[in-house]
Amino acid sequence: MTGRLRDIAYGILGLGILFAVAEAVPRLGLISRDFLPPADEILHTLLRDLAGRELWTALGETMRAWAIGLAIAFVLALALGVLIDAIPGARAATTSTVEFLRPIPSVALIPLATLLYGADLGSSLLLIVYASFWQVLIQVLYGVADVDPVARETARSYRLGRWTILRRLVWPTALPYVMTGLRLAAAVAFILAVTAELVIGSPGLGLQIQLAQSGGAVAEVYALIAVAGLTGVAVNLAVRQLERRLLAWHPSVRGENPR
Amino acid sequence: MRRTLCTVLAATALFAAAACGGSGSPSGKSSDGTKTIKIGAIAIADTAPVYLAVTKGIFKKHGLNAKITAVTGGATSISGVVGGQFDFAFANTTSVLTAAAQGLPIKVVSNGASSTGVVGKDFCAVLVKKDSAVKSAKDLEGKTIAVNQLKNIGDTTIRASVRKDGGDPSKLKFVEMPFPDMPAALSKGSVDAIWVPEPFVTIAMGSGARPVVWPFVEAASDLTVAMYFTGTKLAQQDPELVKSFTAAIKEAFAYAEAHPDEARKELLSYTKIDAKTADKIILTKWPQDINRASVETISEDALNDGVLTKKPDLDALLP
Amino acid sequence: MIRRMTGLPLRLVRLLALPVALVLGWWGYSVLSPSFYVPSPTRIATAFADVWFTRRILDDVLPSLGRLLAGYALAALLGIALGVAIGSYRRLRLTAEPVLEFFRAVPPPVLVPLIMLVAGLNDTMKVLVIVSGAIWPVLLNTVEGVRALDEVLADTARAYGLRGPSRLWHLVLPAASPQIMAGLRQALSIGIILMVIGEMFASTSGLGYTVVLFQRGFQIPEMWSGIVLLGLLGFLLSLAFRAVERRVLYWHQRETHA
Repeated sequence: MTGRLRDIAYGILGLGILFAVAEAVPRLGLISRDFLPPADEILHTLLRDLAGRELWTALGETMRAWAIGLAIAFVLALALGVLIDAIPGARAATTSTVEFLRPIPSVALIPLATLLYGADLGSSLLLIVYASFWQVLIQVLYGVADVDPVARETARSYRLGRWTILRRLVWPTALPYVMTGLRLAAAVAFILAVTAELVIGSPGLGLQIQLAQSGGAVAEVYALIAVAGLTGVAVNLAVRQLERRLLAWHPSVRGENPR
Repeated sequence: MRRTLCTVLAATALFAAAACGGSGSPSGKSSDGTKTIKIGAIAIADTAPVYLAVTKGIFKKHGLNAKITAVTGGATSISGVVGGQFDFAFANTTSVLTAAAQGLPIKVVSNGASSTGVVGKDFCAVLVKKDSAVKSAKDLEGKTIAVNQLKNIGDTTIRASVRKDGGDPSKLKFVEMPFPDMPAALSKGSVDAIWVPEPFVTIAMGSGARPVVWPFVEAASDLTVAMYFTGTKLAQQDPELVKSFTAAIKEAFAYAEAHPDEARKELLSYTKIDAKTADKIILTKWPQDINRASVETISEDALNDGVLTKKPDLDALLP
Repeated sequence: MIRRMTGLPLRLVRLLALPVALVLGWWGYSVLSPSFYVPSPTRIATAFADVWFTRRILDDVLPSLGRLLAGYALAALLGIALGVAIGSYRRLRLTAEPVLEFFRAVPPPVLVPLIMLVAGLNDTMKVLVIVSGAIWPVLLNTVEGVRALDEVLADTARAYGLRGPSRLWHLVLPAASPQIMAGLRQALSIGIILMVIGEMFASTSGLGYTVVLFQRGFQIPEMWSGIVLLGLLGFLLSLAFRAVERRVLYWHQRETHA
């Protein structure tokens, strides 16, 4: 136990060093205060924002876009992945398309989103869904491919219905991959939500950052960046926890190297 | 397996809850019988009348409950109208012409802002650093000029001014940047010149910038700089609404012209300037009608510059 | 008929059937219900030729790619170097980890306005933007890879007196290379995204700039051609990456199982 506490202490030391550096550098004049306000000023702005309403409203809007986009992408990718697995020959036919569409950077769609939806939730969703969809789909395809073919044959020879095979054989095998996909997609969705708000101007944290920057409120910009970072960390942790809970029974988690 | 199902259901419920919370307000009739309309407008001195119309109850008088959203430029407000985010919006003439020429379904309803027509005393100018070598429009050749959005009235009128001064307009480099970022970018030397309307002209001059060109005056006389417009669908479906909006805006224009100090005061509410700056700025002119000749001049210029690929049908577009 | 085909014809059918069907479907849809925002594939193809088979390749595309490669290389070098250093010392890693996880969680485009403030509006800024986002996956994955160095391998290396640069090249890097490659792959996607975004803000040239330019002028087919080009670019870069990855993983196999 003391070992673990000592580990955490090192981590806290690291954060402390970051804070100290961010405090000293502008005060010593190494970087102009116009570019980097001292850390305590940033902290003060951050606390003030947290006490107010605007920040929470903006954060709520970002999380709303994140949640809806992630949910849509997840459901679509899961459905498509299962479909590709179910239809014989579909996998081979779709590989080239998937490999071509997948690396398209979703930010390339920003001008299109602006035209279709303007500076509103729809634009954010277009970007989020497009990017998150591929993350989940690729993992689902890995997952269903991992199903033991002998087990599949056995199930079929027992005349188990398609739905039963899906539920009792494919799903448990694919679940770790699906969770990996969800984890990756959650992170990507968050990044894209904030990006869409920053570049297009849809409501949310990213828009607040852009407004603060236009208004010259540099300390505010840093404070909001800190909020974005902390939220991102929280999202990653939450999904990891969910993953651990759902996969507690799976050998890969119970095995030697739980991730 | 059941635990998995429960967790998934719980997660879905969470997502759904997040989805329901805080939706945007829809257009339509509100409880007091007024119609709610959404307006997109850029936060500069030009749009003071539309904000005044909300504060002074002019919209309410015409049965409208208006909500204004700030945008960064004409291209955004046009997309917003076509996409349904806005019912009415404010955009500069070039952007409106470009959109119409490309076939976007918009219809102008009224004038938005006009130039004062006086060199040295217009509400919009190109500024350079005090010690810059640029002394006239011709000297801008080869320089980097910041505009709020590409392919709008900024580059059209600046090119016209350069051409008039004997320079080569194809040698100008335009960079896109939000207006509020421009004074700082100029001071730092990130760009050679900035094109800004009030209140940013006064703000930039406050940090030592010097105006060199007043492009709206050079490009055309009594230039109609911007206009208010709506989507053709709304114009066809609800002509009464359009009429109410137009009447309200015209009344707001008359009010702003008659009460310039109130217009200045209104600026304090939707921009980040202080009262001292607001007193110093040069106000836009807000005449009741569009100057069609000036719009045609801009159309010609934009066609020559390659910003427009074909001329829009002004008869269909303008009121 | 499909069942009877084998070999090359079958592979071609598999490769092209769905894409061709999709393009045909898109074309059919645009003919039946023309949408202003989604032009037909033929219009996009013509626009593509008109826009990109011109000087633009020199003026916009190549500089963009150049900046991407410069930023990516810089991010890779710094990320691997720092990652190896941090991953090799347990205490250093524990200290640095929360800070690094925090920086990785910040959506990279958010730093663009800040970098613009500091670096101005030039190529340096754009390269810095790419590095600022691409470095984190490389760094963090390298740390993971180095940290998970197999005990047996390390002991064997020690027994053979392997140390310093030799140890790095023959033990640490090959062993960590699968993790490092995973980080480099993520860094590539982030790099492309930041290349585009860096040019959408305050730029006078580049791929991102051109796409925005078209959108501002409501030139829809041209805008789509830019999107298609970006897609092609992403696809080609990921192919190139995979080729390199195969080589590196071969090296990994050879060194760690020698």
